[in-house]
Amino acid sequence: MVEVQQQAEEQRPAAGYVPPDGPRTIEVTEVSKWYGDVVAVSNVSFAIGPGVTGLLGPNGAGKSTILKMLAGLLAPSMGTVRVLGEPVRANPRLYRRIGLVPEQEVVYPFLTGREFVRLNAILQRLPDPDAATAEAIARVEMTAAADRPVGGYSKGMRQRIKVAAALVHQPDVLILDEPLTGTDPLQRLQLIKLIRALGAEGRTVIVSSHILHEVERLADQILVLVNGKLAAAGDYRAIRDKIDEHARRVRVRADDPRTLAAALIRLPALESVRVDGDAVLIETGDVRDLYRAVPKVARELGIRLYEVAALDDSLASVFAYVTAR
Amino acid sequence: MSITHRAPILWLTLRQFRAGRAILLVALFAATPVLFAAIFRWSSATGDATEFLSNFFLEILAPTILPLATLILATNALGNEIADRTLVYIVLKPVARGRLIVEKFIASTLVTVLAFTFGLVATWAVATGGSGSGRLLGALLAGTLAGVAAYGALFLLISLLVPRALLVGIIYVLIWESALARFIPGIKMLSVRHFAQSVFVRILDNPAIRLDRALQLSSATIVLVVLVVAALALATLRLRQMNLP
Repeated sequence: MVEVQQQAEEQRPAAGYVPPDGPRTIEVTEVSKWYGDVVAVSNVSFAIGPGVTGLLGPNGAGKSTILKMLAGLLAPSMGTVRVLGEPVRANPRLYRRIGLVPEQEVVYPFLTGREFVRLNAILQRLPDPDAATAEAIARVEMTAAADRPVGGYSKGMRQRIKVAAALVHQPDVLILDEPLTGTDPLQRLQLIKLIRALGAEGRTVIVSSHILHEVERLADQILVLVNGKLAAAGDYRAIRDKIDEHARRVRVRADDPRTLAAALIRLPALESVRVDGDAVLIETGDVRDLYRAVPKVARELGIRLYEVAALDDSLASVFAYVTAR
Repeated sequence: MSITHRAPILWLTLRQFRAGRAILLVALFAATPVLFAAIFRWSSATGDATEFLSNFFLEILAPTILPLATLILATNALGNEIADRTLVYIVLKPVARGRLIVEKFIASTLVTVLAFTFGLVATWAVATGGSGSGRLLGALLAGTLAGVAAYGALFLLISLLVPRALLVGIIYVLIWESALARFIPGIKMLSVRHFAQSVFVRILDNPAIRLDRALQLSSATIVLVVLVVAALALATLRLRQMNLP
């Protein structure tokens, strides 16, 4: 009987991800969401526990829809969503333990950053909203700008004040929808550090992004969503290795492409090399080795490089690899 | 304890109103009766101010000006947050949906009633030369409060049901309250204007000022309270079930 159930589980069309052990703070079971004829999310199942989990997918993959269902803003058309063991829809009490940084940039422009975070602290009925506000603002390094109206903030500052508002009540579960959008490199670094720290504190943090290298720096566990379906889930490195198993195409523009092509052809993982004008078009099974070798070879031969570009490193290509594996 | 702590949604909504332009439009509506009163005084120095103000309330203020003015803030209170998606910041909190709706309702009613209180006191002073009866002023203010509260609850509900609440509200005011309720007796009994008008005439208690099928003060008040409570309860239910994409 158990074996039959296991077989049935294995034959289920949607990929599911369940952490091997430990608590499950978020459980999504066979969830679908459609708007009229448009299916935004299709039969997705996963469970995650404390730590940072990245939700990766190209624009329109259904990431925001899933996060909104996790936050209780949208009701699934089918399936169930449970957060901290409870249904999240129509359950305002649960919001004491959940924080959300929504995708949209708009924050009440007439409030100062401090007023906005403090409003969140008061609505969370914290015993000392002023102290909690100051702490949350300090955590996102916005103390200096906290008393300025949000309407005058840059995109990155708005993102950080939204994070402060979501953090003010120290939630067990934090849902972040594209939190790095609009941030400059320094702000991004600060936010990544903060998100990792929150995960290390034992909170469940789920972060969406459509940028592969962003998620690599944020999360060890990832869920890959493509066209509303869970395409892959698990340890980031294992998925990346799967991606690396495929031949990758790279274009190298140089002042002497023929000499460069002749030198590169000796690389072990190379599958093909072709010269096209001032560019060398390479297909390789080990893109990292190629990236290391190209500048070295060029330096040795005195060749000037103009460009080294991955031709299929877009997220869509990566997802194509993952889904085709 | 400050208003921010006691009623944070009310505080937020008042700040929203202060920052927006809608409040100026409400002030303009509230000031309109003063203009009518000034024209009345200028054109007819010996005319009966009670009769003028009563007719003005029954024919213009209750069926048209009050609902249009109330519509602006009542649909703004939640409608704008739904449109710009900032509603997420207040709904994802451990706050009962009913409380959220009530504070939004109080904010829009409070500001509209305050604006009309100033406007009507000035109107009464101009029309009567400052020597009018307190009862007349009380009837004007009570009728206004009744109308604003009932229209406010209704429009708040509409803003949660349809995307273009302002347009729907204007159509409702101009067709139902201003036109159909004036001429069709059955509809009159189903219009907010009739209950607000009943409150006015019963408090004024002037035999010269009559309203066809006017309800007793207690009946009109009960109907208005039931209407407000029902509209707010439905709005709460709607907010609970709403998807916020």
